[in-house]
Amino acid sequence: MPTMTLIQAINSALDEEMGRDERVMLLGEDVGKRGGVFLATEGLQQKYGPDRVIDSPLSEAAILGAAVGLAAHGMRPVAEIQFADYVFPGIDQLFSQAAKLRYRSGGQFTAPMVVRMPTGGGVKGGHHHSQSPEAHFAHTAGLKVVVVSTPYDTKGLLKAAIRNDDPVVFMEPKRLYRAVKEEVPSDDYLIPIGKAAVRREGSDITLVSYGGPMVETLRAAEEMAAAGVDPEVIDLRTVMPWDKETVLNSVAKTGRLLMISEAPRMASVASEVTATVSEELFDQLLAPPLRVTGFDTPYPLAQDKLYMPTVTRILNAAKRLLDY
Amino acid sequence: MVQEKIRFQPFSPEPIRLVDEQGHWIAPFEHGLSPEQLQRFYRDMLAARILDEKLVILIRTGKTSFIAPHAGHEGAQVAIAHALQRGHDWLFPYYRDMGLVLAMEVPLVEVFGQTLGNAADPAKGRQMPSHPGSKSLNIFTVCSAIASHVPPAAGAAISMKLRGTGQVAICTFGDGATSEGDWHAGINFAAVQGAPAVFVCENNRYAISVNISRQTASENIAVKAHAYGIPGYYVDGLDVMASYFVMKEAIERARAGHGPSLVELVVHRFGAHSSADDDSRYRSREELAAERQQDPLLRYQRFLEKEGLWDAQWANELRIELAKEQEAALQEALQAGEPDPLQMFDDVYAARPWHLEEQRRLVMDELQS
Repeated sequence: MPTMTLIQAINSALDEEMGRDERVMLLGEDVGKRGGVFLATEGLQQKYGPDRVIDSPLSEAAILGAAVGLAAHGMRPVAEIQFADYVFPGIDQLFSQAAKLRYRSGGQFTAPMVVRMPTGGGVKGGHHHSQSPEAHFAHTAGLKVVVVSTPYDTKGLLKAAIRNDDPVVFMEPKRLYRAVKEEVPSDDYLIPIGKAAVRREGSDITLVSYGGPMVETLRAAEEMAAAGVDPEVIDLRTVMPWDKETVLNSVAKTGRLLMISEAPRMASVASEVTATVSEELFDQLLAPPLRVTGFDTPYPLAQDKLYMPTVTRILNAAKRLLDY
Repeated sequence: MVQEKIRFQPFSPEPIRLVDEQGHWIAPFEHGLSPEQLQRFYRDMLAARILDEKLVILIRTGKTSFIAPHAGHEGAQVAIAHALQRGHDWLFPYYRDMGLVLAMEVPLVEVFGQTLGNAADPAKGRQMPSHPGSKSLNIFTVCSAIASHVPPAAGAAISMKLRGTGQVAICTFGDGATSEGDWHAGINFAAVQGAPAVFVCENNRYAISVNISRQTASENIAVKAHAYGIPGYYVDGLDVMASYFVMKEAIERARAGHGPSLVELVVHRFGAHSSADDDSRYRSREELAAERQQDPLLRYQRFLEKEGLWDAQWANELRIELAKEQEAALQEALQAGEPDPLQMFDDVYAARPWHLEEQRRLVMDELQS
């Protein structure tokens, strides 16, 4: 089995899906000749031609809006937004068109499209190359939102997203693009959207995270284990719709929830998960669910690493829960 | 079919016009249309006018919540509907296109169902009135967000080109839409791709209250096409013949693989922006009265009369017949009743996720209690 980085897994998923289904096509800034600024689409224009891998004008509204029309007309477009921070000029297309097309037409028209975007911090990118805007998407009915953290999942989830009949925002933590390699099958497999993965089984505390901070979360879990605590670690993978069942089952077992995300705290996915657990498991909780999140500031440059959930911050919060 | 020799001049300093106010051909013109086709244009324009009047009654009697009057646009809208290949080409309309969708032969019951927002609406009462759509006729359901349908029209056209379907995407909008970023983004992308699209501005010179002079410093909308490297046609949209033949040329040009065009059809808006607007606050009654003298329906009537295809008795009978048809459809739509309240949770996604199941159950329990 070949080993792949996360970015290679993306390329492999796109390649396989384009080979499997001629309706699948790519569009975005620099995705063709250049192969994308992160090289996610490297070699695909040479292989499938400039009509199926379109170097678009520098316009997120054009990319996302055209994807809506392509999808409504029967294609399966995969749009790349160069950085999640730059989705905003195209947000009307995503929110007013893609998200609501099925609903506003009473199911007559649909927009089965994938919007890939590098997300999150850790690359010294300042506030316009580091944000985690998933809450905006999760808050918009009609969109599904995936945030990946491993090469294996990335390939299976991207293939599932392309075959999904709804618009899927597919977020790729850029600091993980080349951080790890793991075995990724070269054959066809899918990972269902909406299903979390239990990364570590344990009984004392449930750590729930997704995307970039999965790295710090797992590291913190190792340190906790070394100190005699037995944490369970859940990777949500999909934040809309998030896997409530898996989270509730785990917290029912451990009685403690620590939710970790690098997105700003205010009105966040982390807030939604902790609120739901509080509502549904109130009488089984041994401590109030806590959140470790990014801060409610614009994403800073100099404090790049400090902004994101650190292992120390995760361990401190876990200690509060365990000592409660 | 449009005659091979017909070629209109893009970027003309004056609006392209074939028939003058009095209904005379301005210059000899081989139109090649049958008497039936010529009369059909009149029928559709008249039906659109009757619908406009009917919608005003529906709003005044409280049966609907919103209308966007289209009177004054009928010539342009009927021309667009007849220039495209119905059911083959795709139409991306905007909210003032009720006359256009009527001429596209969207069933009248659906038109009124959408207006009433009840179970007769194929879109299940999801959107405010004046937001029709039809999958079977390739009419992309209207979205309120101004110009947001322009990039999707470009995308559909790119798909048509990519797959060689021989279709064209026709996208209509008002003059205000031309100031939106998405308008530029969509036309630019379609032009770069040489996609088969026709972008049509129904320019009534008012975006709610804002006059075109406050909307753009361009001499007209058509010249904006220069910036995208595509032809821009400046057309008298009160002249149904000019509107039809220019649209036909632009559509067939796109179909033949020569890329998009921008067509500006200059029309009047006889009503207020909508039923929620009072246009006397921003335009004088004298201005409006003068515009009403240039009624596209009246001009076309004069034209037909000169062609020997119109007389008062025929027109009266036609009016009665159309009104009767619309009334019958309205009554049928009124009988449809409210949509199932639980449909609120359908069509958000292909299948309902758990949180929508929970929310649906909550409403179901509330309704049953």
